[in-house]
Amino acid sequence: MSNIVEIKDLTKKYYLTTALDSISLNIESGRIVGILGPNGSGKTTLIKILTGLLRQTKGEVRIDGHPVGVYTKSIVSYLPDRNHLFKWMRIKDACNLFSDFYADFDRKKFAELLDFMALGIDMKVDTLSKGMKEKLVLALVLSRQAKLYVLDEPIAGVDPVARDQILDAIINNYNRESSMLITTHLVRDMENIFDDVMFLKEGKIVLSGNAEELREEKGKNIDEIYKEVFSG
Amino acid sequence: MLRFMKYEIRGTYRYITGVLILSLILFTAIYHYVNRGSTGSLGGNLFVTLCILLLFGTALVTFLYIVGSFRKELYEDTGYLTFTLPLTGYQITASKLLVALLWFFVLGVAVTAINLVLIFAYLPLEISFGELLRQIAEMLSFKHIFVFLLDAVLSGVGLLALIYFSMALSRVTFRNRKIGGLWFAVFLILAVILGYGRYRIADLLPYSLDLGNLNDGAMTTGYATNNFIFMIKASTVKINIAGFVFSLLTAAALFLGTGYLVEMKTDL
Repeated sequence: MSNIVEIKDLTKKYYLTTALDSISLNIESGRIVGILGPNGSGKTTLIKILTGLLRQTKGEVRIDGHPVGVYTKSIVSYLPDRNHLFKWMRIKDACNLFSDFYADFDRKKFAELLDFMALGIDMKVDTLSKGMKEKLVLALVLSRQAKLYVLDEPIAGVDPVARDQILDAIINNYNRESSMLITTHLVRDMENIFDDVMFLKEGKIVLSGNAEELREEKGKNIDEIYKEVFSG
Repeated sequence: MLRFMKYEIRGTYRYITGVLILSLILFTAIYHYVNRGSTGSLGGNLFVTLCILLLFGTALVTFLYIVGSFRKELYEDTGYLTFTLPLTGYQITASKLLVALLWFFVLGVAVTAINLVLIFAYLPLEISFGELLRQIAEMLSFKHIFVFLLDAVLSGVGLLALIYFSMALSRVTFRNRKIGGLWFAVFLILAVILGYGRYRIADLLPYSLDLGNLNDGAMTTGYATNNFIFMIKASTVKINIAGFVFSLLTAAALFLGTGYLVEMKTDL
């Protein structure tokens, strides 16, 4: 199977702080990969480099064989860890914007997802609660037939009911031929959807592999392995 | 790029409409008061002064609002949307610049039109609107208008490119949001350097293109045009060639520099 993401010797420094320290990894097409680690481990930095929001200090990143740029932005569907939509927008404006810029955006699927999330097309973005905004952006992101989905902390800060709804939406709506990268520190809630996991600690990959094989090898679930890796 | 401009316009048109309505109200109030012919009352003078101050304040806030749209992308969460759209840094910069120019043009035309209408509505002029236009057309040739527009566009693009470059350079150099306002210091320093450079180059090469004598193929020199890129008088329309080229090149360099910083150096 081909690699959708290829990362070689990737380093990111902020002045004297090293956020990512010479990491290398490949992500195969069709896999859901969990990037796990506590706050400050480098998860968001890695994702921001993949989405073109940050530039690496050193190393090479290729997505679908291309360096990060206009092409990769057109095939990556990104859920940031904040509300990034313009305040003046109504939901229909956000839908139009995604439809205008991404050829892979599916309006019908978006309407279905809005329905599932109990959101109305005429609602103003600015008036939505945090959970509703999270659901809206997830609906926009999952309505694309992207080659790579990148979700940064998709269930952080939302109530348990919204959390289940978001997880159901992810499981049921992402393009099966695509790959998905999900960062989280809420491992217990999400571990069942990961094919592969990668543990990031202080900018380095300290453990990675197939989620099922790791469970068998360690005799523990991913949440317990997470605690083992990061408590020491 | 046009698609991005569409959303830029949609995001700002309400504010611009509000500014135009406020301007209409304030100008009408001033003309109405002046037309009453009453003089010297403290309240009246205070009222007119307040209206004028409000107009200046609105103009300043509107200018900062329009150019601040670029800064918002660099410092606020909407940048996560803008910079993950499949657009280059140059396209984003160009879109912001063109929409800002469009709004300045719209505001300029609208405020001029409001004033013209109010002059004819309130002031006792013995000339018709059509006659006024005819007399203006007699005074100004196509060359005057062309040079005036060229000057306005070049100055506008140059100023906006300098502001955007200062903002982008400040963002790249100082990651700390709290000192993001340093862009204005960067802007002032660059404005002084570029202004002096243009003055010096126009001084060293005082050759002007006289549009009034183009048929003679005239290229004149003269100290009268040294410090100006454009000189428009009733009978002469002159462009200082070196100053004009310098302005064009610096505007292009600032635009490309901004695009490069956005594309290659900006970390959100």
